[in-house]
Amino acid sequence: MATLLYLESLSDCFASWRKEGLTVLAPVGEGALSGFREVERAEEANFDLLITRTTLKELFFPRTEPMLGYRIGKREIETEEFMPPVEGRIIFGARACDSAAMAIDDALFDWDYHDEYWFRRRESSVVFTIACREPDEFCMCTSLGLSPDSAKGSDVLLRPLEAGNGWQVEPVTDRGHKALSSIEQHLREGSGATAAPAEVPVKFDLEACRSWLANKENFESPFWREISERCIGCGSCTYLCPTCHCFDIQDEGDTYQGIRRKNWDSCSFQLFTMHTSGHNPRATQGARWRQRIMHKFNYYGGKFDVDSCTGCGRCTRECPVDMGVTETLQTIAAKQKQSERT
Amino acid sequence: MTPFENIYRPAIMKIAETRDEAPGVRTLRLEFQDPADLQRFRESYRTGMFGLYGVYGEGESTFCVASPETRNDYVECTFRRSGRVTTALASAEKGDLVTFRGPYGNRFPIEEFHGKNLLFIAGGIALPPTRSVIWSCLDQRDRFGKVTIVYGARTVADLVYKEELEEWGRREDVELVLTVDPGGESPDWKHRVGFVPSVLEEAAPSAGNCVAVLCGPPIMIKFTLASLKKLGFEEENVYTTLENRMKCGIGKCGRCNVGSVYICKEGPVFTAAEVAAMPPGEL
Amino acid sequence: MSLQEHYRSQARELLAAGAVKMVVGYAEGTTPERRRPVFITEPEECSRLVLDARCRTNLAGYLLREGLLSDGREIAVYLSTEGVRTINILAAESQLSSAQVRILGFEIDRDEVKAMEGKRAADFSEAILAHKERRKKQAPDELAAKLEAMNAAERFTFWQGEFSRCIKCYACRQACPMCWCRRCVVDNNQPQWVNTSSHTLGNLEWNLVRAFHLAGRCVECGNCGRACPVDIPLHLLNRKMTGEVLEAFDHYPGMDEHQEPALASFRKDDPETFIL
Repeated sequence: MATLLYLESLSDCFASWRKEGLTVLAPVGEGALSGFREVERAEEANFDLLITRTTLKELFFPRTEPMLGYRIGKREIETEEFMPPVEGRIIFGARACDSAAMAIDDALFDWDYHDEYWFRRRESSVVFTIACREPDEFCMCTSLGLSPDSAKGSDVLLRPLEAGNGWQVEPVTDRGHKALSSIEQHLREGSGATAAPAEVPVKFDLEACRSWLANKENFESPFWREISERCIGCGSCTYLCPTCHCFDIQDEGDTYQGIRRKNWDSCSFQLFTMHTSGHNPRATQGARWRQRIMHKFNYYGGKFDVDSCTGCGRCTRECPVDMGVTETLQTIAAKQKQSERT
Repeated sequence: MTPFENIYRPAIMKIAETRDEAPGVRTLRLEFQDPADLQRFRESYRTGMFGLYGVYGEGESTFCVASPETRNDYVECTFRRSGRVTTALASAEKGDLVTFRGPYGNRFPIEEFHGKNLLFIAGGIALPPTRSVIWSCLDQRDRFGKVTIVYGARTVADLVYKEELEEWGRREDVELVLTVDPGGESPDWKHRVGFVPSVLEEAAPSAGNCVAVLCGPPIMIKFTLASLKKLGFEEENVYTTLENRMKCGIGKCGRCNVGSVYICKEGPVFTAAEVAAMPPGEL
Repeated sequence: MSLQEHYRSQARELLAAGAVKMVVGYAEGTTPERRRPVFITEPEECSRLVLDARCRTNLAGYLLREGLLSDGREIAVYLSTEGVRTINILAAESQLSSAQVRILGFEIDRDEVKAMEGKRAADFSEAILAHKERRKKQAPDELAAKLEAMNAAERFTFWQGEFSRCIKCYACRQACPMCWCRRCVVDNNQPQWVNTSSHTLGNLEWNLVRAFHLAGRCVECGNCGRACPVDIPLHLLNRKMTGEVLEAFDHYPGMDEHQEPALASFRKDDPETFIL
């Protein structure tokens, strides 16, 4: 016997949560317009969507986040701290790759200095992940050791029923249990057959990639320039990436009052590392793409024992010049295999 | 819920003193306005650490704490006016309020220097981090052996901390070697003329039981390291500081790393051996 | 011989003879529908070059890559009319020398790709003129017509909605061959002319500043719209500006490399009623 949630009672679940003061967010819209937005009823959500264009990370790490307000007087500075909103949220219908990314970024935002802008939102959110039934040609979660029904970073995992009329419910965390207890009356015990999770082919050998990247000789390889020759240096891949977390701190306002903000930033941008003197330690696009790949598949793992990629495939799916992590790692894995043979 | 602790909140500081060091280079002495901030600073500051100095409305900029850990009831910083934030800081006057976030990063392990001879080498605007270590050691002079300071700048006018240079020059327990680049000397210049690496080789301090602290522009570091090697210094006994563009200072914003090394968390103080292991293309 | 084959062999010959040091063209992409920019330097690599109706990217911007043309050598590049006009503008704006650009011209007509004869940008003036005449008569597309019918407040609401999706990834700028500023206005911080934050005002400022900066310069190649990951209909802004400049000054950007920029040149008979 398993716990089942039928689509027909989902609106009632939403209503129960909303009555408790929780905000319910779900995937909404199509294509480039899709994202997680507040919904009242189940019909507003689009569960047929493979993956939203913008990621779950926006709900925890917004594009722009006011941190401090300042007002400067003659002999005093008044500051106001902007706290992240802490109202409880149900995020219903995330994908395994996006949810796993949240768990990956937890390590960074807790690295000695605990970033409450991230964690307050994490603590007040309950993530319901729906296992994928059908991948597209860009999906590659299995290449990263994850799967379409991975529960990493989720509070509740939902497995679609074969009949397409609901989900089998698996609580993962205490937060998940608690959220489920609020909708207990809408859950059923039953034994509906669940659909097989999507079969996502493995696209590269991650171990081989790690070995190649760990080899210091490859840092200066001409490969980096070749693979990124067509890169135009926009931030599309990083901003659509569920794990990319780099940011800028910017003051907006004038000498008398304004707001200090935390804004998304991207290692693809030339300005990202440029010193005031004009010296730029990552002066070329090849060096910047290398940084992105090394950060994800070497540095991050070295520090936090996990790679900073979940295989959502957005970088390749949306790249204006058809680049992305997949091809880069495929090429790297092939290089490693070749060097092992010779 | 526990009180909100904002790791991006800076301390408010009052400018207690300003000093023009060289053309475009200024020192500010900053005093904490909130005793709790001062308390935190006193407990955590050790020489080598850095901070983010800011002016609301302009932003924050990273430089070392130039004052020593032995004088920790204020913060001094010395910077060149170059970008948006340093321009705002340079225009601030005594009594004005600015911000400070820190201290962050690692430190010079000066306890490990006890009983050893110390060689300080600095070029131009890189004297401030060195000066912090120098005073931290001179303030407990009897714990260390011979102290040698080699400092060079492009011209006489570009030398910073001129009063302190005079003071060090007068002290019997400090050997001070000053130099300016050829052509940078003034008519009354009594010290050396030449680049730091060659002046260092002429001065030839002994590498025996000696620790070197080397700070300067990358090109100077490169050649000075070669000179130190000639003099017999092991890379493990040469310390330096690195800097990179930073925004958060606490390992989150993702831009200051050289290879896998986050300057803000694992630095800014490194041994020459550690620097040698970093990918040269990223420095 | 198909045009693809024809240009492959031309590219091969040009490289083999040392007439050009590189061919910038299109290759197959990750999926059968995709084409990607490719940079060929060896004659034997020319078999990778693809040319069909899916080759939409204007490749001219790649020529401005730092140092690429600094040795004075020639580069061959696959260009449509918009691409050739881009070369003319870039030459007029002193960003490159058109003598260094060997053109492999093509036009996409519905799903057909056709050759466009000529080697240098100057050889394509007739085709460009024909484009200009066509452009003058072109009716606005459905969405543009809808926008024209709106009042100012409605239009403002429409654009606010569109710009609310902007994530400030600057893909529009990076993909645009006209955005060649070494330091973009948004990257200048003394003073900070444009808010860098991706909020309503910051997004509006950014997209409008870019639209104004392209007025009279945009060749309507569509690179920005294709690059935008959140599908903001940026082309509508640029088309509107292009239309206004065309109407007011009879200026169609990129006619030839001696054309003066519409908004940076002055004539006594300019209809500048709004200035003096």
